[in-house]
Amino acid sequence: MSAPRELNKLDDLLDSRLMAKLDSVDVISRKIFSGKMQGERRSRRRGQSVEFADFRPYVHGDDLRFVDWNIFGRLDRLFLKMFLEEEDLSLIIAIDSSASMRVGNPDTFDYARRVAMALAYVGLVNQHRVSLVSFAGDTVERASNLRGRRKAAEVAQWLLRRKPEGGSGFEQAMRLVGTSRQGRGVMVVLSDFLFPEGFEKGLAMVAGRGFDLFAMQILAPQVVDPSREGGITGDLLLVDSETGTETEVTVTPELLKIYKSRLDRLCGALRAYCARRDIVHMVVETSTPVETLMLEYLRRRGLLR
Amino acid sequence: MTAPTLIAVTWVTPVAGAILGASILAPLVALWFLKLRRRKRVVSSTLLWTRSLADLRANTPFQRIRFSWLLILQILAVLAIAFALAQPEAEGLGSTGGRHVLMIDRSASMNALETVDADGKPLDPPQTRLALAKTAAKARVRELLGGGWFSKGASDVMIVSFGLRAEIKAPFTDSIGALETAIDGIAPTDEVTKLAEALELARAFTSNLNLNDARGEENLAAAGPLPTLELYSDGRIADLGTFALREGEGIVYHKVGATSSNTAIASMSADRPPDSPDKIQVFASLLNPEPIEKRVTLQLAVNGTVRVVTPDPIVIPAAKVADGEYVAGRSQAVFRPIEQASNAAIEVAIVEDDALRDDDAAIAVVPPARDLSVLLVGDGGFLLRTLLSGLPAERFGTMTLGEYDALVEAGGAIGWDVVVFDAVAPKKLPGGLYLFFGAAPPIEGITAFGTHQGVYPRVVRDEHPLFRSASLDELSVSKMTAVQPDKRFQVVAESPEGPMVLTLDRNDMHLVYVTFDPLDSNWPFQRSFVNFVANAIEHLGRAGDSVIGRSLAPGEAISMRFPQGSSDGEIRLPDGSTQKVAIDADGNASWGPVGLAGLYRLSAKVPGADEREERLVAANIADPLEARLDPRDSLDLGTKTVQGVSVGASGRGALWPWILGLGLLIVVLEWWYYQRQVRL
Repeated sequence: MSAPRELNKLDDLLDSRLMAKLDSVDVISRKIFSGKMQGERRSRRRGQSVEFADFRPYVHGDDLRFVDWNIFGRLDRLFLKMFLEEEDLSLIIAIDSSASMRVGNPDTFDYARRVAMALAYVGLVNQHRVSLVSFAGDTVERASNLRGRRKAAEVAQWLLRRKPEGGSGFEQAMRLVGTSRQGRGVMVVLSDFLFPEGFEKGLAMVAGRGFDLFAMQILAPQVVDPSREGGITGDLLLVDSETGTETEVTVTPELLKIYKSRLDRLCGALRAYCARRDIVHMVVETSTPVETLMLEYLRRRGLLR
Repeated sequence: MTAPTLIAVTWVTPVAGAILGASILAPLVALWFLKLRRRKRVVSSTLLWTRSLADLRANTPFQRIRFSWLLILQILAVLAIAFALAQPEAEGLGSTGGRHVLMIDRSASMNALETVDADGKPLDPPQTRLALAKTAAKARVRELLGGGWFSKGASDVMIVSFGLRAEIKAPFTDSIGALETAIDGIAPTDEVTKLAEALELARAFTSNLNLNDARGEENLAAAGPLPTLELYSDGRIADLGTFALREGEGIVYHKVGATSSNTAIASMSADRPPDSPDKIQVFASLLNPEPIEKRVTLQLAVNGTVRVVTPDPIVIPAAKVADGEYVAGRSQAVFRPIEQASNAAIEVAIVEDDALRDDDAAIAVVPPARDLSVLLVGDGGFLLRTLLSGLPAERFGTMTLGEYDALVEAGGAIGWDVVVFDAVAPKKLPGGLYLFFGAAPPIEGITAFGTHQGVYPRVVRDEHPLFRSASLDELSVSKMTAVQPDKRFQVVAESPEGPMVLTLDRNDMHLVYVTFDPLDSNWPFQRSFVNFVANAIEHLGRAGDSVIGRSLAPGEAISMRFPQGSSDGEIRLPDGSTQKVAIDADGNASWGPVGLAGLYRLSAKVPGADEREERLVAANIADPLEARLDPRDSLDLGTKTVQGVSVGASGRGALWPWILGLGLLIVVLEWWYYQRQVRL
């Protein structure tokens, strides 16, 4: 088993080949959000784009430039022509930086950072407002309102500075995001969702608050199946990376069977919870190449196009 | 405040305890090491693991026990150690703890010569079964008391040898020397095998039950566990099935012997034909206990000189099992009458050799050809005097009761073969041959308590020699003495009111008692009366021969009566050795019990005679079961069947060391399996 390679620069997070492929990809939102500034994304608001939206009767004070004179000629009544406003999209990427992410081969946290970088890049090149949130324990760090391709390096630097340590702090981070007034949008949470306190309260902070929410559960292969090479075998003293709790385990086929059953139940519970709250749940193994994830899997799941 | 009392602790089996302790400590330490060897491993979260373990630990036992080889091995290991702690001991192999009674069979069949041992190795020279049993018993004594890791120093051993009778050769002791000496002292005999007495003897010495104590049962319980009985025998036991083991009583059967080659003379008779008293007619019954036909040659010797050898072999059919019953093959041999007027020891022997020589010969002592002398004691009854005087007798005499009593009182020799009492009873009755009419004989075992009137016979044993041509069908008795005999008497004719004719056969006395006076009946008018009296005299006369020279069974004692004043008694045994025999003032001489079959010559100096008077006694193996040599594989003792273990077969009685070893082996196996399983 080779040691994971340290991520040091943008190219480590997102190589130029993938970057080129991602240029043609955009983030899809199942919902239409109001943006803050004019952008390339259809907005709920009526505005000045070229795309027709509706008619409405003229009222005093309306801009006469939008009166449909053809209708006035036919009906002798003034109707105002309405167009869709095109605004920018807010893409929030929340990354779990707790110690529990520093496991597996490939490393779960590194994988999450690569995915975050790729998603952020897609958002930046499509002129969306990209915000990054890192949560671990009591610490929530943010990089907000980044826009434009040139911000990619800034995003990369921000991600490279993140270190996985401490507890999860998921609920606190989600509360912060959910209550902020930085605009609604697409939110992707990258985590293993193995929170001792549970994921329900944290997700409840952002679910139903206008976010188009994607819960991407990133798991190392050794977590999915501990009997794999380099996984959990034999007579072990397991140490919880977040809490430091020690658990004596004698791995038997019977115990592995129960473990997998437990993991299935946890994933199933998360999936069911997300389905009830219109959250898209995805399970991604870190053995899946980021390119495959971005260009195939996330397209199929409707996050990218 | 008093100082605490120190309690002295005695470690009975310190080594065994250390082994046990180590056997439990070793797996514990091994498990502890296993615990220390857990590798640390940082995982993202132990959340799933703790929940999985909780599932495995808490939920599983309440749902169903899942099959696991580890669990099975651990259960087996625990069971094995638990069994070992219980210190089981195999009955078949014998235990090593507690007290032991070694019961060694010294019957005739134990004299069979064995040419191979239990493992099939040849024995050179061949040894008797008794010798093998003694060797095995001595080895067992050393095993029980000789120390060693698994022996218990607290074992006490008792030695009992048994044949017809049982004898304690050594009481409970832990002295190996005393026990070996006792075992060496067991002499071979030709007795039959009876185990019941040996068992009773062993029980008497092994329970502290005091029957006079009201708390006897408690005492029995306090006596502790019953000792282990260890039987060294070939299993051919005559009284098997007549006794059963008691609750908690254990027996180990050490099977001795392997051979079955044998033929035997089951019985023989030597009589003088009535028409030619100078000759002796000899019959012999031959027995083949083996399931193959045998051919044997017989020889007949008179006083040690071979007179006849059968020209052709006599065929003895094979033994067979018919309707589940074993039936030995039998054949008869009849020799032509041989001329021999004087007394003689007639020996019939099988010429061919086999494993057991002692039953290949039988001896009968035949008295010289002579008529009997008959004495009538009474008040001059005409009827009997006339009748007896007409019988063919060497001499006939009469005597009044007073004269007879005076003669007996003076201790003088009676000098008559048969004495007939005509409705009178003497004051004292020495050993001899007697015919009583009417009055009850003054001997122990019979009590007269009045008379019966008008009786007639109801049950008559017509096959008895007394009633040969002497039917009692027409008999009617007006008055009869009422008597109550004990078991020693044999009632051969009885009326509804009580016995009419009784016989008694004792070593020194043979007696026929007619409980009524013939004059009080219609018998004198019948021919059967004459025949009865003649039969009775002849019957008693034959018994007289046997008193003098009858055949004994080994185990019985020789009892002889020499004339009063005889002295310097001596007996010559079949092996030629001689021993002194005490003779009391009345001339009674006793010796015994007779151990080996053969001819015994008892002699004494008789007053008024220059030469010593000699009486011959033959001892023959009486039980055909002794001829059957193939040892029993198991013994049925009541509800329990004990499997035999061949002597010399290797194996130690205590099983727990082996079970403990097995337990440790399972622990090792379990550890190996565990290691193999965790290396996925």
